[in-house]
Amino acid sequence: MSRFFFDGEPIEAQPGDTVASALYRAGRRIFTRSFKYHRPRGLLCLSGHCPNCMMNVDGVPNVRACVTPAREGMRVRHQNAWPSLEQDWLSAAQHFDSLMPVGWYYKTLTHPSAWHVAEPWIRKVAGLGDPPPPDAPPREYEHAFLQAEVAVVGGGPSGIAAAFEAASGGAQVILIDDQPEPGGHLRYTRPGEAPASIAQLRGQPNVELLARAYCFGLYEGGLLGVLQADPHPGAHERLVHLRAKRVVVATGAYEVPLLFENNDLPGILLSGGARRLLFLHRIVPGRRCVIVGIGARAEDLASDLRGAGIEIVSLISPDEVLGAVGSTRVEGLRFRGGSVTCDLIVVCGPLLPDAGLLSQAGARLAWSAAHGAFLPADLPPHVTAVGRVTGSGLEPAVPLPPGEVRAGKRHFVCLCSDVTSQDLVDGISEGFEHIETLKRYTTATMGPCQGRMCQLPAIGICARETGRTMGETGTTTARPPSPSVTLGALAGPRHHPVRRTPMHYQHEALGAVWLDMGAWKRPRYYRTAESSEERRCVQGEYQAVRERAGMIDVSTLGKLEVRGRDAGRLLDKVYTNRFSDLRPGRVRYCVICDDAGIMLDDGTISSIADDHYFLTTTTGNLEFVEQWLEWWLAGTGWDVHITNLTGGLAAVNLAGPQARDVLAGLTGLDVSAKAFPYMACRQALVADIPAILLRIGFVGETGWEIHVPAESGEDLWKALLEAGKAFGIRAFGVEAQRLLRLEKQHVIVGVDTDALTSPYEADMAWVVKLEKNDFIGKAALSRAAGDPREQLVGFVMQEDGVPDDGSAVVMDGRPAGRVTSSRFSPREGRAIGLAWVPAGLAGEGAEIRVRVQGRPLLARVTRRPFYDPEGARLRM
Amino acid sequence: MSFLLRCPHCGDRSVYEFRFGGEVKPRPAPGASEEEWVNYAYNRTNSAGVQTEWWYHRSGCRQWIKAVRNTRTNEVLETFYPEENAR
Repeated sequence: MSRFFFDGEPIEAQPGDTVASALYRAGRRIFTRSFKYHRPRGLLCLSGHCPNCMMNVDGVPNVRACVTPAREGMRVRHQNAWPSLEQDWLSAAQHFDSLMPVGWYYKTLTHPSAWHVAEPWIRKVAGLGDPPPPDAPPREYEHAFLQAEVAVVGGGPSGIAAAFEAASGGAQVILIDDQPEPGGHLRYTRPGEAPASIAQLRGQPNVELLARAYCFGLYEGGLLGVLQADPHPGAHERLVHLRAKRVVVATGAYEVPLLFENNDLPGILLSGGARRLLFLHRIVPGRRCVIVGIGARAEDLASDLRGAGIEIVSLISPDEVLGAVGSTRVEGLRFRGGSVTCDLIVVCGPLLPDAGLLSQAGARLAWSAAHGAFLPADLPPHVTAVGRVTGSGLEPAVPLPPGEVRAGKRHFVCLCSDVTSQDLVDGISEGFEHIETLKRYTTATMGPCQGRMCQLPAIGICARETGRTMGETGTTTARPPSPSVTLGALAGPRHHPVRRTPMHYQHEALGAVWLDMGAWKRPRYYRTAESSEERRCVQGEYQAVRERAGMIDVSTLGKLEVRGRDAGRLLDKVYTNRFSDLRPGRVRYCVICDDAGIMLDDGTISSIADDHYFLTTTTGNLEFVEQWLEWWLAGTGWDVHITNLTGGLAAVNLAGPQARDVLAGLTGLDVSAKAFPYMACRQALVADIPAILLRIGFVGETGWEIHVPAESGEDLWKALLEAGKAFGIRAFGVEAQRLLRLEKQHVIVGVDTDALTSPYEADMAWVVKLEKNDFIGKAALSRAAGDPREQLVGFVMQEDGVPDDGSAVVMDGRPAGRVTSSRFSPREGRAIGLAWVPAGLAGEGAEIRVRVQGRPLLARVTRRPFYDPEGARLRM
Repeated sequence: MSFLLRCPHCGDRSVYEFRFGGEVKPRPAPGASEEEWVNYAYNRTNSAGVQTEWWYHRSGCRQWIKAVRNTRTNEVLETFYPEENAR
């Protein structure tokens, strides 16, 4: 015994109860209010197909109560009714149904102003359920990846037999069943007669049973999308990506309602629903019952219901029925030649093959008059169907709709969106004769049941009204996911991968303010004891680098090792400048272009030995560069091996006029300008750590990029900070680095360049060696060398104001270019930046206008670095 | 799209493990005409049918392979190392 809450009221639940069965036992008969007219609706199918029991369970809207096990402490709320299910003020809507004919949005709200007046009201009352509030506790979802030789969808008698047969042959089998227990319809049509094969199946070690799981999509490559509810207490739902060599679809058949007046009243159950209440939950659904049906199925049902103590008032053939009587629940039934009073109507509806999955997978649906149903044909390879889904074992057809079309305003075809047979007839008479256009116009088959309940009656009405056969009318298209899937399950676990450099916690201790670069966390700047204001902190870091010494963690740079006899040959081919002549111990700046001459990435290449190079790439482009090099290598047979060292190395850029003094205290290497000049590289111990040192200068000062094994990154960082203390060293972040490099007009590929930039336009003609035999981009660059149309230039603002990155450069009031980077330069005392301008405005000293907060301010072009244009400080 | 690709090194794998590298197009010789270079750099055949294409096994052996695939049906007829077929 457990207890949950419905609209705040405690409800007792027996073991095995669903939310719906416990509520029914407690006397509840109205479970929902319908979508459009807010008509009361009660349990109908009890199999998770129809929309009649959708509730809010623990904050999740549109949960089908009839297939949700009742659990201790659950909080269940009604939806789509105000103030309560019993007294829903919005049910007044059904008295205005003549104002809301089929397609009424399109007919009545044609004037633009009408829609604006109506929209807020429609938004308020339309829709189904409320999304969880933003502060609701998050739910856990997970994804699993499984493989099987045979996947069997459906745990009924045919599915069990198919699984058993495949397993006996030695195959690895996964059986997917949406019920808590396998057995399918036998569980409620012949209770107590569970087939022996269920026990046998459980004994098979090569069979895995996924219970309370349904397959919502059958995709190419034998992929099944499976959603499993409550896989374990830590997860709400699990989405299984199941790959199977063979798929057996044994989804069986489902029962659909019949068409008569008030066929949606609470107290009208499908025979399967009545049986489930009786045999799965031991609930007697009523006292005086009328059965609508014919033949052995109706007789069997009558005898089972009588056995439970229910009085069977009458057994009526479907084509005799005129309508149900009652307002909020069934009080009687009218039929040709009379009427009876009753509190329960059980309908033996037609059983239809559940072939949606097969149809999605590409099978054709062919009309079978003998079955009164569309049966799957031409199955895709590796997919088979067994059991009732093929039509086998289904009784002969009950014509649907029975007799002539009963166009009625209370004959509900589509329970999900309140579409009546009259609506369909009206839609057809307005010209929507094709089943697909009729579907879109009336919204029949488009609701939460995804057409299960209404597709066949809708096709039947369409066929008769247009004088076609069922086969000629055809079906609407089945698409995954069906049944529907929660967005949370598709999104999966809430994992946000984060990459931290080896020095991450040192930065944290220094007060880093973080910047996300892809998955990496990088310090944007460091707060100090004096200030946490960005501008002041950045300025302090800037001054340390320009006047004393600074250090920045550059571990996020892409780092590749390229080795082998043909390594230089590959680099010559892929990069625009030459590397085969790069002597060991030297570093060169490098640019990659594609064959259209577009700049893709830049970095440095250091020669360690004749057959051994060390490459750095920009942080975001590492994966691309690695794949690009591998691609140009593929199939050449060259002796080159590329290894990604990014995660294995930590790196620090130490820079500033006193950087040499800091470094000299930590290494035995001669770091004088003569022994270790600009653009040289050395391998040596730094603070007793084996390191590769590159003398390069992105920020424009004497400096070294020091690469060490990742596990020693923190030690190096601490050693540099300690050794630098006497010199006033400071750690600097990405923001200070951007300002420092901007003063040198060093571009950042992808920030200052875009998908159309050639090195000529970026003012970097010197990196292109057109005299080389061949390289990627040579043909295009040879032609582009002449006259770039646009040019990337530096500029200095002549008036106060710092343009945002991306601001327009204007000429005669029209946009003529754009700013790619701009910062306030403490050195210049005004804003500087890089901008794209037409070639005609790219001359030294040209005046341009940059829009800053709506005003075109004067700026002057300069193509010389603002700081140390001769590069003397780099070489010191 | 959920078809399988047979990586010559790793076997049958989900297409999600791979990066698509486009159709295989022979690169013009260094001295080729401007038209040939423009065609190579900017134009794609965009076949509706069988084509040979590059795939990179990103979440596997990290090698480039070639596949012969029907772009209408996603049927993969053949996969091989680029060595087995001149670039």
